[in-house]
Amino acid sequence: MISGRGRGKIRPPRRGISHGSDEFEDMWAILQSALREIHEKNASKLSFEQLYRASYKIVLKKQGDRLYDRVKEFEEQWFGSQVMPTIRKLITSNLVNITIGGVSGTTANERRVTGEEFLKGLKASWEDHNTVMNMTTDVLMYMDRVYCQDFRKASIFTTSMGLFRDHILRSRLASSDQDLITFDILNSVILDQISMEREGDVINKHLIRSCMYMLEGLYETDNEKDYEKLYLSTFEPAFIQASRTFYQEECNNLLREGDASSWLKRTKKRFAEEEDRCQTTISLLTTSKIARVIENEMIREHLPEFLAMEGSGIKAMIENDRYEDLTLLYQHISRIDQSKEILKVALQARVVELGSEINKNIQNTEFAQQDVDVAEGGEKSKSRPMNAAAKATVAAIKWVDEVLRLKDKFDTMWRKCFAEDLILQTVLTRSFSDFINIYPRCSEHVSLFIDDNLKRGIKGKTEAEIDEVLDKAVTLLRYIQDKDMFELYYKKHLARRLLFGKSESGDVEKQMVSRMKLEIGNAFTSKLEGMFKDMTMSEELSSGYREHMDKLGDLSRTQPDLGINVLTSNFWPMDSIGGNKMGEDGSRQMCQFPQEILTLQESFKNFYLKERSGRLLTWVGYLGTADIRCTFPPIPGKEGAKVRRHEITFSTFGMIILLLFNDLADGETLSFEEIQERTNMTTQDLARQLHPLAVNPKTKVLNKQPNPKEAPKPGDTFSFNASFTSKNIKLKAPVISAVSKVEGEEERKETEDRNDEHRGNVIDTVIVRIMKARKEFTHQNLFAEVISQLSQRFKPDLNMMKRRVESLIEREYLERVEEANTPTYRYLA
Amino acid sequence: MASSSQNQGVSEYVTLISSDGFEFVLLREAACVSGAIRRMLDPTSRFKESTTGRCEFAEIKHSGIVLEKVAEYLYYNHKNRNREDVPDMEIPPELCLELLMAADYLDC
Repeated sequence: MISGRGRGKIRPPRRGISHGSDEFEDMWAILQSALREIHEKNASKLSFEQLYRASYKIVLKKQGDRLYDRVKEFEEQWFGSQVMPTIRKLITSNLVNITIGGVSGTTANERRVTGEEFLKGLKASWEDHNTVMNMTTDVLMYMDRVYCQDFRKASIFTTSMGLFRDHILRSRLASSDQDLITFDILNSVILDQISMEREGDVINKHLIRSCMYMLEGLYETDNEKDYEKLYLSTFEPAFIQASRTFYQEECNNLLREGDASSWLKRTKKRFAEEEDRCQTTISLLTTSKIARVIENEMIREHLPEFLAMEGSGIKAMIENDRYEDLTLLYQHISRIDQSKEILKVALQARVVELGSEINKNIQNTEFAQQDVDVAEGGEKSKSRPMNAAAKATVAAIKWVDEVLRLKDKFDTMWRKCFAEDLILQTVLTRSFSDFINIYPRCSEHVSLFIDDNLKRGIKGKTEAEIDEVLDKAVTLLRYIQDKDMFELYYKKHLARRLLFGKSESGDVEKQMVSRMKLEIGNAFTSKLEGMFKDMTMSEELSSGYREHMDKLGDLSRTQPDLGINVLTSNFWPMDSIGGNKMGEDGSRQMCQFPQEILTLQESFKNFYLKERSGRLLTWVGYLGTADIRCTFPPIPGKEGAKVRRHEITFSTFGMIILLLFNDLADGETLSFEEIQERTNMTTQDLARQLHPLAVNPKTKVLNKQPNPKEAPKPGDTFSFNASFTSKNIKLKAPVISAVSKVEGEEERKETEDRNDEHRGNVIDTVIVRIMKARKEFTHQNLFAEVISQLSQRFKPDLNMMKRRVESLIEREYLERVEEANTPTYRYLA
Repeated sequence: MASSSQNQGVSEYVTLISSDGFEFVLLREAACVSGAIRRMLDPTSRFKESTTGRCEFAEIKHSGIVLEKVAEYLYYNHKNRNREDVPDMEIPPELCLELLMAADYLDC
């Protein structure tokens, strides 16, 4: 650019400017006629240069304002004389009636046709106006560029658009006494068309779209702010309002029909339709707004009513696995509520309801007797409760099965319908946990379930199937709150499986433990692992001992062969496996072993303690078994009968009892009391041990008097049954305690007591540990900390915690801080 | 916008005519750098110039010389449209004002 400094040197160009309005009028005359030609679409004869020059000159002569006004005037006249009349003609009285809201007597089809005519007319005039104004603007470019910018006027194009808005769309309808403008007609026609489409008619989407473009291209004022689009300010609110009414109506209809399934489908269809409509018929700007309308009117308003519907509500959907419905439901609810509160509540209620049903069923139902063997093992007098116990065991497994089935059902649902939603997963987990923990015997039952599967269930199954079973078991375990209870039961059941060789596969056992380790942690499984280690150690010990004896060689071969399991008493649940109770003084009541066995024990003890001094070996008779070779005399009165030999496996106690009879002469008897005296067993134990020997017909090596068929009791006398017969050489007396079953009331109480005691100790430890670290801690914080530290194992009882704190204070581990505002404890070193 | 490739059947070249009768044939693409010329030739408007491809400029004074310089500029602009650090075009001082007026008129 050349700056003003040079002005003095360079001569300004001469200009043939003659002042006077005549020249303006001449120029305007040219332009005016040209504009008319342009409006009549006859531009090809016009020279752009000439027109451009005319406007250029006018502007140069500072007459831009006049030109601007003249053009405006011209447009206004043109609208008034040429455009409006055609449009007025298209506005039939019918259209007016519809707009006013009166019912027109015409069919939908007629309405559609007249509406389309009107829209077409309006669209045509709009498009004409656009082309014409584009050309006009081109011609008047110099004015726009110089005059409009200098005087901050809206460009002539914008102004003319405003004129179209004011003179066409907002022109009052003379024919009507109502206060109607073209706009009202336009809106009502379009809405009418859309509602026809909603009813299923086919409409001219393209036409409506064009009209929408027009509204999107026009603004409330000439400032052309985005939010002032006529579309947004006039049509959209009307559309939203109409849609709201429509969907309210629709939703009410659906509510009356009472089918949640069709409601879901209809809602989905409407969402798709409206989205499509926004794309093809109206404007994308409305997409989210109309979706919001449907969400509000179709979903949020009546959601609870639909969910509660009998026969098709959420209950029925879950009941009948209506995955499709549930998927839709999930999608709809996610739209209106990110936290899906209502679905959460509904699911939770359903899970807990179904779960409680399972709980109740199991508690109520009597099961057919399935496990006869179990009953046979029991003593006669106890056979009825044993039966019940067996049933209860079956019931326990059934409970677990049903819980798993329920879990499967909801898992499938979660995967298929709920898009694996994390919020819902949490809810499901919590609900399951809730109802499982309501059931007081859940820990026991889950352990029984695993026990059952490891003993029998996995036989003949592939690895994958076993994996699945284990997975399920662990899943259940995850839900259980009182993990310590579970541990107790699991230990007990595991001990039985290991000691009596009932386990189907050691590998699977170990897998199970490692899974639990993953799930709950090291602390939980360390004892279980210890049990496994004991078992392997014992095997080595037994063979080592055998070798040792072989080497000694000099001992008589009559000595019984010894297989031994050395159990670390810490790991194994001694009390719960067998019958022997701790004596009053805390020592175990020992039975009297016969001499042969004592020698053996002594010799093993020497061997064992050689390498491991300082340990204490306690012999636990009731867990062991003994193979006894029995010789029975030929049956008298039978020709050629031989001496019969049988190898019978008894429990260790059984063996001790039988050995007593070795010393008896034929025909001599021993009374119950005599046996008890010589073996030092409790009455209960002895009765139980005698049962397989004297009553069970399969291994009846003793005769009992009186009442040979009834359970042994004090006062009975026993003698050797010389006439015992059996087809098999090898026999096995059933071992009662090898069968895992549901505990009786008494037993459970005991287990719980023991568990409570254990918990008390654990709580003590945790409290002391926390206080040692904190020195001073408020009551509230202490309890919160204890609960959080124990949450992995169990949920501590508040009263118990209070008692523990009291007792710690008594034992002077803690003291109350007197001067503190809130109750606070201090640790005493 | 009005490039030849987009509008089939429209000549690739246009003619600018000065008031004293000089004719300059230019690439349409280059000529359309000027806003006025572009609008003049816009085929959708169908003004006379757009159908003939000939633009007469009666308004520009001494128009032969000035229009030549304008044409030169249009090509200069077209040639260098995608480059940086372009050397200045040489403009004779005596034509400065005339050229300014023309540039204002042609919007380029």
